Amino acid sequence: MTYRVGIDIGGTFTDFALLKGEEVILHKNLSTPEDRSLGVMEGLGKLAEKEGLSLAEFLGRCDAIVHGTTVADNTLIEMNGAVTGLITTEGFRDEIEYRRGFKEDIWDVRLAPPKQITPRRRRLTVPERVLHDGQVHKPLDEEALREACRKLRKQGVEAVAISFLFSFVNPAHEKRAKEIVAQELQNAHISVSHEVLPRAPEYDRTSTTIVDAYVGPRVTEYLEKLVRRLHDGGYRNQLMVMQASGGVMTRDYIAGTPIRVLASGPAGGVVGSAHAGSAKGHPDLLCVDMGGTSYDMSLVLNGQAPAEAGWNMHHRYLIGVPMVKVETLGAGGGSICHVSGGQLQVGPKSAGSEPGPICYGRGGTEPTVTDALVMLGILSTDEGFAGGSFRLSRAGVEEAFAAIGREMDTDAETAAFDSWRVVNANMSQGVRRTTAGKGIDPKELVMLAYGGNGPAFAAIQAEDLGIVKVLVPKASPTFSALGTLVADPTIDEERSYFAPATALDLPRMKRLWTELAERAERYFTAAGFPADKVNASYQLNMRYPGQTFALTFEVSGADGRLHDLAFADEGLGERAIALFNERHMAEYNHIREHELPEVTGVRLVSRFATPSPSAATSRAAATAAPRAAKYRRANLGRGFAETPVFLGADLAPGSTVPGPAIVEETFTTIVVYPGWTARVDAAGDYELVKD
Amino acid sequence: MSFELNRKLAARRDPLPTTAQIDSVTADIIRGAFETVCFESATFLGRAASSPIINSSNERNAAIVDAHGRLAMGAVGTPHLTFVNQMETRWGLMNQERYDWGPGDVFVGNDPDHGGGHLPDYCVYGPVYADDGELICIQTLQAHQGDTGGKDPGGFTLEATDIFTEGLILPCLKLVHRGERRNDVFDMVVRNNRFATFAGDIAAMIGGVQFAVRMLEDLVRKWGKETIKAAINHSIEHTEHRVREEVAKWPDGTYEATVLIDHDTAGTKDIKVHVTCTIRGDQLTVDLTGTDDRPELVGVWNTFANSRSYVMCQVVAAMDPTIVKNEGYFNAVDIVIPEGCIAQPPPNKPAALGSFHPACEITEAVCLALSNVAPERAQPQLYKIGMPNAVIGFTEAGMWMDQGVDCRSMDTSAVQGLDGWGSCPNALGGLILSEAEDAESRFPILNISREMTTDGGGAGQWRGAPGSLNVKQVLGPTTAMAWMVSADHPLRGMCGGDDAIPYSNHFEVGSENERKIEHTAQALLPAGAVIAYQHGGGAGFGRPLGRDPEAVKEDVLDEYVSLAAARDKYGVGLTGSLEDYDLAVDVAATAALRERMAAEMEAAE
Repeated sequence: MTYRVGIDIGGTFTDFALLKGEEVILHKNLSTPEDRSLGVMEGLGKLAEKEGLSLAEFLGRCDAIVHGTTVADNTLIEMNGAVTGLITTEGFRDEIEYRRGFKEDIWDVRLAPPKQITPRRRRLTVPERVLHDGQVHKPLDEEALREACRKLRKQGVEAVAISFLFSFVNPAHEKRAKEIVAQELQNAHISVSHEVLPRAPEYDRTSTTIVDAYVGPRVTEYLEKLVRRLHDGGYRNQLMVMQASGGVMTRDYIAGTPIRVLASGPAGGVVGSAHAGSAKGHPDLLCVDMGGTSYDMSLVLNGQAPAEAGWNMHHRYLIGVPMVKVETLGAGGGSICHVSGGQLQVGPKSAGSEPGPICYGRGGTEPTVTDALVMLGILSTDEGFAGGSFRLSRAGVEEAFAAIGREMDTDAETAAFDSWRVVNANMSQGVRRTTAGKGIDPKELVMLAYGGNGPAFAAIQAEDLGIVKVLVPKASPTFSALGTLVADPTIDEERSYFAPATALDLPRMKRLWTELAERAERYFTAAGFPADKVNASYQLNMRYPGQTFALTFEVSGADGRLHDLAFADEGLGERAIALFNERHMAEYNHIREHELPEVTGVRLVSRFATPSPSAATSRAAATAAPRAAKYRRANLGRGFAETPVFLGADLAPGSTVPGPAIVEETFTTIVVYPGWTARVDAAGDYELVKD
Repeated sequence: MSFELNRKLAARRDPLPTTAQIDSVTADIIRGAFETVCFESATFLGRAASSPIINSSNERNAAIVDAHGRLAMGAVGTPHLTFVNQMETRWGLMNQERYDWGPGDVFVGNDPDHGGGHLPDYCVYGPVYADDGELICIQTLQAHQGDTGGKDPGGFTLEATDIFTEGLILPCLKLVHRGERRNDVFDMVVRNNRFATFAGDIAAMIGGVQFAVRMLEDLVRKWGKETIKAAINHSIEHTEHRVREEVAKWPDGTYEATVLIDHDTAGTKDIKVHVTCTIRGDQLTVDLTGTDDRPELVGVWNTFANSRSYVMCQVVAAMDPTIVKNEGYFNAVDIVIPEGCIAQPPPNKPAALGSFHPACEITEAVCLALSNVAPERAQPQLYKIGMPNAVIGFTEAGMWMDQGVDCRSMDTSAVQGLDGWGSCPNALGGLILSEAEDAESRFPILNISREMTTDGGGAGQWRGAPGSLNVKQVLGPTTAMAWMVSADHPLRGMCGGDDAIPYSNHFEVGSENERKIEHTAQALLPAGAVIAYQHGGGAGFGRPLGRDPEAVKEDVLDEYVSLAAARDKYGVGLTGSLEDYDLAVDVAATAALRERMAAEMEAAE
């Protein structure tokens, strides 16, 4: 028996998903913030114990350990990364500070700037210039570069970002600069823009490179420590690491561009969702994850979580590498209900987990979404909530909503109900904004709800969006770990290449694609994945001249192989135009008959398919109608009424629960709204269907 | 087309008639849904358009106007467009029969004398009807177009003396009739434009409006038309209420400000904008009486709709940003603009350049006046640049223009408690700047430098962001057009803060033809010519001697401020060396210096 282990480290818990054969075993233990690798080892020890093995035996049998880490995210949240300097082209010192003019709120003149990773004194320029076609206009002034290094050294710089104009066309100056910086600042981490994000424009590439330098030392140091512990423990294979693109790759690959692990946690959840949805026959999903502080929304199309490169604003910094798009709204269980400017509002301020909602009884005094659910009778105040760890209390909740009611000229129950309506509306608008401009009508999607609070709102929100089916998987609390387990080793990279679609320089394009293929081959082979088994999707980025956003599509066919460039023949330009127009039509509902699109880049997504757990798809036979464990006065959107409450433990595959009803599961409460029915499928997961 | 029409267009409108009652939560939920429609529509346009002004700079706006012509809920997009669109829509509304309005129609308007801003700002709009045929609201999308088919490419003619010079004028033109595009009309509009991508852009605007109209029809069906009308009324009333609450917190009084523009495009000096803000209880009145009205002025005529809009942009900036931007603002604030002055020109005046000046001096003057009552939000929302250097060339594919979006740092003033930062003031902050790598891949130009200039902003207790020096080389023969202002009268400091530095602009730098542009220029530059534009930066807030000496030291380390300015403007003595990054404040020397400077200033006053 061999194993695969998926591990996801969150703020509070470290989650494990162990795959043995077809079976998945889940485990959770507390994270260890002072040295997160300790929590990982502890959990692995527990899994070994469950298997009746010593840790060494267990690790020796592990084919792969796949890991999702928030170390890069935490570095950006806490702003405690490396002391970072920037070396850039003379004349372009301040682009990073201008942020292309972007401000998060154009109406608020008191909006403060984000903290600068590279304050102006650590942004130094050197004479050099490459033109858009790669010609050297001005040679690199090496003496000036050495002088810049001396200045950075005086300032105690630990990491250096190097970003020159048009380095993605001709990287010679950046390569030489990297050598010189390595000589002059011997222990510094160096991030070079043509390696981190070889594409235009300069702000996007420079910003990404700076963040890469800033988080780089923390990420590498952490992964090195973990690899050492695993190795000492008896693990003999490469550690695989989750990337924001939704694929995993080896630690060696990540060490080259550590920024690729940023935002990988939520990506893991989406990949887990994609897997669960596809296995149940639903390849197009709207995934919603409502936790304590936020509501995260993402899309899965054709069973894939699409990764977008470009304008990804993350913790107020632009990060251009491909990321699974996860939009976040400040609407979670802890979001505070309040009256502002005469209007009832929910969030974005959150009570967090400490002190948390009033009903937690830990000193919270401001009413939250969770408190509203208690007022509405949706959440139980009986013993045994959240798997028995603690009990919710109504003490103080009613008074808090009564206070809101006084401001809004209504009573406490109505104030709680209105809070429920407001948070619902916020979430629906959030989803619409997530799908905006993508040519997707939410109606055509199946909703997959997870996170502690998602299933309490899922069906009512689905109804608002015209969605008729909602999936609530049982394993949702450890979805990110499951995601790391099912994610395939993937390298997703691109190179800039500008040309009208009718005048493609095929030899040059082939060279660029070959370069990407060689990189992929090198990393896959080193990781023990045979290159001839790697699936290669060759893609083009195209747009009409003048458009800022390019559309990406595959030109190689679904079963492409590394180095098989047969598709890149004389007919490629014509095919590309047709494929582009098809995409443009789907996305924007029109094409420009009299305009010819242009290519802006070539991309290669190479992926090695690894074994994944299958999910039960068969519908279980109907069982006897389950009986409600109790009745509770609750308001499920149509006024208070005695509502049946079912216990998850009492339900079996095949059980159906017609709404209105409440199902109490471990860690979560599922609301079956009026007009909806819940079914338990063969895997024990819930499916909510509109009647 | 008269002052009388302006009065009619600006007249206050009644709430929509409805018997429905609505609670504030439902009303706010519907408002959120409307705003999301605007977001989707603006996103659609931004992604589908080719013009970099639309898709990179985001100079576009989506709004919903109700059946009475009121800005209904919030809007998504560029603030100065937000407050214009209802005026040009009203002209169409007043002529529904004449123009045969019906479901599925899409119109376009851009006429400055019929409620429009300036000609390049195209407003495309489509009416939304309930199933019983009642008109409920109108979806509008505005975007700045790169050309208007007038005398000069780009739509800006320096010596224009009438609107006809500037291009195609559209009071209300039907582009789509009952869902079918009118190809004859469409082709005519497209033919009157030099931009090769214009057809695609206008098609994208039509598509964006149609997309939104369908969503609005669904919302009307879902909630019922009476509830929707009640929600619109509620949203507008709520905004009016909140604006009045803010005004009521300000001390009663009359606050005046005068701002001068260096000269018009013909060289006439010192064009005056005068604003009086009067606060009585919860009523704010902004009165532009005293503003220049010399009929011979050239290029400095801002349309009536634009003037109202710019006043409102600054009033909005002075208030809680969470107040929903809709007609309630116009119901709460009285705006008086004398007929015939440069902020409400007689018919047929050229309008293009007025959107730069005096439009921006209007916001500046309103800001100066309101800085007396709301100093914490006294940041002028403007661009003091005369106009960005328009660099224009032609290829086989048509005209290209590298303009407008290549500003870097300009005009970002401090407010109380916060230094100016970023590229432009917030209200322009939705503009996403183009980048050198995009521009150089497309146009024969080379960007040489675009860095901030040390001491390039106004000093103050909080300082303005330093302006940038933009240096650019044209690689082939290229037309360049410029209008210089804000050299004699740079952006004004607030509450004792220093003014920003003067703008300056040089053509053919480093050659024997090097020249400073004093007024205007329209030149064919030879290949290799270099142009250099020094932007003015932001102004300061509060007296420089009040700035924390440690902050001054940090500024010197970052080369925002020079050692000399630290001493001479801020009165801060520093020890150590900038080269060694070991500067420290000399506390005793600083105290002595500041005491002496304060005494000198007092004596001078």
